[in-house]
Amino acid sequence: MAIKVYSTPSCPWCAKTKEFLKENKVEFEDIDVSSDVNAAREMVKKSGQMGVPVIDANGKIIVGFNEPEIKKAIAA
Amino acid sequence: MKENYDFLVLGGGGTGLAAAMYGARLGLKTLVLGTTNGSELPVGGVITTTDSVENYPGFTSISGMELAKKLEEHARAYDLVTIKTEAAIKIEKKKNSFEVETKNSKYNAKTLLFATGTKWRKLNVPGSDEFERKGVNYCALCDAPLFKDRVVAVVGGSDSAVKDALVISKYAKKVYVIARNEVHAEPINMERIKSDKKAELITKTNVTEIKGDSLVRSIILDKPYKGQKELKVDGVFVAIGHIALSELAVSIGVEVNEKGEIKIDHRTSETNIPGVFSAGDVSDKGFKQLITGVGDGCTAAYYAYEYITKNKLI
Repeated sequence: MAIKVYSTPSCPWCAKTKEFLKENKVEFEDIDVSSDVNAAREMVKKSGQMGVPVIDANGKIIVGFNEPEIKKAIAA
Repeated sequence: MKENYDFLVLGGGGTGLAAAMYGARLGLKTLVLGTTNGSELPVGGVITTTDSVENYPGFTSISGMELAKKLEEHARAYDLVTIKTEAAIKIEKKKNSFEVETKNSKYNAKTLLFATGTKWRKLNVPGSDEFERKGVNYCALCDAPLFKDRVVAVVGGSDSAVKDALVISKYAKKVYVIARNEVHAEPINMERIKSDKKAELITKTNVTEIKGDSLVRSIILDKPYKGQKELKVDGVFVAIGHIALSELAVSIGVEVNEKGEIKIDHRTSETNIPGVFSAGDVSDKGFKQLITGVGDGCTAAYYAYEYITKNKLI
């Protein structure tokens, strides 16, 4: 399972998303789009969104801290 | 089986967390339901979206997220406090208690505190829904970094709008602050925005439309700015105020004012219903800051304790 979390350091829902993944012992790559312009572009391209957090769970794109969707994705 | 509590706090923002801490100090078994139906924010509440808090005693400057974390830790330090990330969906008034229902549980409480806060008021113009999160955003602190070297408009003329513009200006190459009247910010922030070379204030002007393709590309103004009614922008941050989350309170007969804010006795934080209190942004207090919400939340905890002891509900 490869999970990427596109986030910014000052976004409360990003913090919540990462906390949730840690609590569920799910490993993830945290990508700070505030310091990585290319990653920010990649996120917008993948999701069509200009807002964080965006979660890429094995290609499934989840926008925002959508707990039921994240649960489904990590269980898959 | 239903869990029983002395003091049930609806809303886990700074106000609710401080009230819970104080309730526990008074020996009240306290539950915080940290997610409010309709709220966009996690436990910690609206202060988590503030970059730098400079008006909370004890901290010359602290990030909102850090301060919220400290408030949560302080509340959790008491064994009598339970914090759950559940949203109340229904409340029923019983003889000497209130039954609060969430999606999966039911709770009984002798007293209630509505610290449910507010949600962002949406900009209701053509394109504002279509482009939400595609350039139209509400949390500057969260999403400003995505607008590095872009042109951004902040809609609103309040202190919050100016603070948002100051955050965005750290990343964007230009930021317009568009206010339907004048821009009214705290003097210190007014000075900061006026001396910010990337910022331009456009007053007495409304945004009437947001245009784009897959993302925002421009906005239409109701009067020309520098000869143009269409401004090319990559993002629009909306800061036009908040709507009180008081629907659940109204459902059990709590009185609200014309803005939907819960009417409280400004001495005790009690509503028109005995045993039901309110504090923070959802209440009808005039000056709303974390510092005032925290004070009113603690006041509510104290009078909830008095209500329980006076009525021999212990």
